[in-house]
Amino acid sequence: MQDAISRATGLLTATEIDKRFGANRVLRSVSLTLAPGEVHTLMGENGAGKSTLFRILAGIHQPDAGQINLDGTLLELRNPCAAYDQGIYLVPQEPALLKELSVAENMFLGMLPTRGRFPARIDWKTIRTKAQDALSTLGLDVDVRDDAKHLSIAQQQLVECAKALLRGCRIILFDEPTSPLTSREVGILFGNMRRLREQGCTLGFISHRMDEVTEISDRVSVLRDGAVTDEVDRDGFDRARLVRAMVGRELIFDRKRAHRTPKGEPVLSVRGLAHEPVFSGVDFDVRPGEILGFSGLIGAGRTEIAEAVCGLRTKSAGTVTLSGKDITAASIGDIIAAGLVYVPEDRARHGVILPMSIRDNATAGQIGRLQRKSGILNRKREVEIATDTLARYGVRARGIDQPVGQLSGGNQQKVVFGKWMSTNPKIAILDEPTRGVDVGAKDEIYKLIEELSAKGMAIIVISSELEELIALCDRVIAIYGGKIAAELHGTDITAARVGAAFLGAGTH
Amino acid sequence: MSTTIAATPEPNQRAKSRQRRELREVTLLVATFVVIFGVGLLRPSFMSFSNLEFMVLSSVVLGLVGISQTFVIMTRGIDLSVSAVLGLSAMVFGLLSTTSNMPVWQALPLCMVMGAVLGCFNGVLVAWAKIPPIIATLGTYSLYGGLTFIYSNGLQVDQVSQDFANFGNANLVPGLPVPTPVIALLIVSILAWFVLNHMKFGRTILAIGNNASAAYNAGISVRRTLLGVYTISGALAAFSGLIFVAYTGSATATTGTGDHVELQSIAVALIGGTAIAGGRGNLAGTVIGSVFLSVVITALVFLQVPAIWYSAGEGAMILIAVTLGARHGAKS
Repeated sequence: MQDAISRATGLLTATEIDKRFGANRVLRSVSLTLAPGEVHTLMGENGAGKSTLFRILAGIHQPDAGQINLDGTLLELRNPCAAYDQGIYLVPQEPALLKELSVAENMFLGMLPTRGRFPARIDWKTIRTKAQDALSTLGLDVDVRDDAKHLSIAQQQLVECAKALLRGCRIILFDEPTSPLTSREVGILFGNMRRLREQGCTLGFISHRMDEVTEISDRVSVLRDGAVTDEVDRDGFDRARLVRAMVGRELIFDRKRAHRTPKGEPVLSVRGLAHEPVFSGVDFDVRPGEILGFSGLIGAGRTEIAEAVCGLRTKSAGTVTLSGKDITAASIGDIIAAGLVYVPEDRARHGVILPMSIRDNATAGQIGRLQRKSGILNRKREVEIATDTLARYGVRARGIDQPVGQLSGGNQQKVVFGKWMSTNPKIAILDEPTRGVDVGAKDEIYKLIEELSAKGMAIIVISSELEELIALCDRVIAIYGGKIAAELHGTDITAARVGAAFLGAGTH
Repeated sequence: MSTTIAATPEPNQRAKSRQRRELREVTLLVATFVVIFGVGLLRPSFMSFSNLEFMVLSSVVLGLVGISQTFVIMTRGIDLSVSAVLGLSAMVFGLLSTTSNMPVWQALPLCMVMGAVLGCFNGVLVAWAKIPPIIATLGTYSLYGGLTFIYSNGLQVDQVSQDFANFGNANLVPGLPVPTPVIALLIVSILAWFVLNHMKFGRTILAIGNNASAAYNAGISVRRTLLGVYTISGALAAFSGLIFVAYTGSATATTGTGDHVELQSIAVALIGGTAIAGGRGNLAGTVIGSVFLSVVITALVFLQVPAIWYSAGEGAMILIAVTLGARHGAKS
C-alpha cells in the first residue's frame, strides 16, 4: 500500500468516451474527472450509462473512442488486471467472491504468495495474517478462514474493498453498493469510504438514493442517455436541480394521455400484499379500461410485485382478487384462465422462442385449443391465428414462417402481445413493454395499448421511462423500497413529479 | 474499531461445514466396514485376507482415475474419455511388453506421454474450441476407444512379460504385504493433495470451478489451467491402464470402456463429496469412495447376485450419489 501512494496521486480523467453495445449507444462522448481525496458520485436513470462508464475505467469493457488518463499518463486498460496494476479497482454491484473458497484466499485471488523454490508452496500463514489485518482495518470482524459463501452482501463488499487495498489500489469505484444494504450497513460502508478519502484515495460512487448522495459526495455528475448533463459541487447540491438533470430531457413524444377517470368495479384488487423484505403493504385497484403505471427504479420491487400478483412468486401476506374472485393462491394456469396475463420484461427469456416461427410463437399460448379430437394440430386454424396476429398488431415480417429472432425488437414485442392477447384477458400487466424497441415502433405499441384499453381491458404498465408513463397512464404508482411511495393522477403525472417520487425524494 | 459488522449469523458455520466434510469420509468408511462385516457374516470367505487384498487392489485403478476425474470435475468439467485412454494404454503396453519386450521403466514414461497427448487434445477442445466438456470428451471417448480396436486389430493381451507381472504384483517393501499398485495410489494421492492445497495450480483449479470469469478477471489464465487439468487426467488414466495390465496380465479392446470406468470414476468422485457443479473437491473422499465401490461390487459377486444386475446397480448408485450431493450442496 505504501508503494501505491508514491506511485500515483490518483487523478483519473476520462475524455470523450464512446461506447456501443450492438446498435445501442450507451455512452456518448462522456468526460469525467475523479480527483484524489474526493467521493465522486454518478447519478442517473437506469440505463443512463453509469455502470458502463465505471466498467470502462476498471478495464472490464473497452471504449470505442476516447481516452483514459491517470495523472496525465495515457492508460490502455485491456482487462481488469491492467486496471489493478494502475491502482484502479471496481467493487461490482454483485460482489463476485468465489463461494467455496476461504475469505482469505478470495482476497489474494490471482496473487497468492508462495514460499520456497521447488515446489513453490502457498504461504497460507502470510495470506491469513495479511487478510485478517486488511479486514480489521475496515472494521470487518470475520474469520478469514471461513468460506466466502457464509458472508452477507455487506461483508462481501467490504472484502472487495479490502481486495482493492491489498492490490495497492488507490482509486476505488463502487457500483451501486448500497442498494442491497440496510441503513446500518450503509453507515459502516460510508465510514470506510470517508476514511479512505482522508487517506487520499479517489472514490467513485453510484447511487440512486438522494439522501445518500448528498451525505457522502463531494461532487456529483449526472448522466442521462449516455451523456453527462450536469456536474455539481458539494455546496451546489440541490435536489430539484439533480432530478431535473436526470429526467428533464426533451420528450421525444409530445404525447399525453387524455385525462380520464375510469368507472366500474375494479377488475383487480390487491390488498396488503407483502413479501418481506422485498415489498410490503401493497394496496391498489385497477378498473376496466384503465391504464395504471408502475414507476420505480430497478430493484424497487415493481417486477416482484407484479410477479407475486400473477402467482409467479410466493407472497407472505395479502390478497389478490380478480373480478371478485380470490386468486391469491390460484395456480398460474388458473390465473391466466381467469383473465390475468403478465407479459414479462425479458422477451427472449420468457416471452417468445426466438428461433421459432411467428406462427409457432403466436399460437403457443393456446396450443391445446388447436388440437382436433384425434390429437393432431389443426394447421389451418394455426395459420389463421398467426396471419390475424400479423395483421392486427401490425407486425412487419416476411411471413408467418419467419423466425421471430430475425424481427426487430418492436416487432418481436408485437408478436408477444399477439400471443398473450389471443387468450382474451381482462387485465394485462406489461413489464417494460418498449425496452429495446426503436422510437417508431414505440409509438405503434403505445397505440396498441390504448386500443386494448379502449375495448375495456385493464392494463398495468411497468416502466422505467418517464415519458412512457406520461404518454400512457391514467394513474401512476411510484414504488420505492418495496412500498408504494406516491400515487399520481391525470395532470399530476409530470416528469418532475414522477421522477422525484421514484427517487424517494417525496412528491411535495 | 467502534463499529464492526458482526461475524456470520452462526459463528460456528465454518466448524460446521468442515465437520460435514469430515463426516462424509467417516460415513463412507463406516459404510464400507458395515458392508464388509455384513457380507462377511453371511459369507466368511469375504473377510479373508486374500479377498480384502483383492478388493483394495481392484480399487486402485478406480482410485487413480477417480483422482484425475476429481480434478476435472473441480473445474466444472467432466472427462468421459478416461476409460478409453485407460484401455488404449493397457492394450498398447500390454502388447508391447511381450511383442517387443519393452521393460516397465520404458513403458511407464511412454504411457504417461501418450496419455498426456490424448488428454491435451481434450484440453484444446474444451479450452480453445470451447466445446462443452461432456461433448468433447464423449467424442474423444469414442475416438480413443476406436483407436484401441484399430491398434489391437483382433488381438488381446493374455499375458504380460515377467517384468510387468512383477511390477503389478510385487511387494516393494520387504515384509509388508502392500503391492506396488497400492503404493502408486498412495503416492499419487499425496501428490494430488499437495497440488490441490499447497500449489498455485491447485488453487487455480478451484477458482476456475467456482467462477471462471471472476478468476479470469483476477488475472488467472483459465485456458492454460484447463489444458493442464485435462492433460494430467489423460496421463493418470494411461498410468492406471498400465497398472491394470501389469496387475491383471490381460487386456482386451473393451478394457476400461466395457466396465464403464468413466462412469465409475465420476461416481466415486461424487460419492466422495466432490461437487458436480465444480469449485469444491474431496480427494480423500474419492479414494475412500473407490474402495467402497470396489467392496460393494465384490459383495454382489459373493452374494451371488446375477452379473446382469451390476450395470443397473452401478447406475442407480451414481444417481443416488448425485442426488444426495445436490441436496448437500443446496443445504450448505
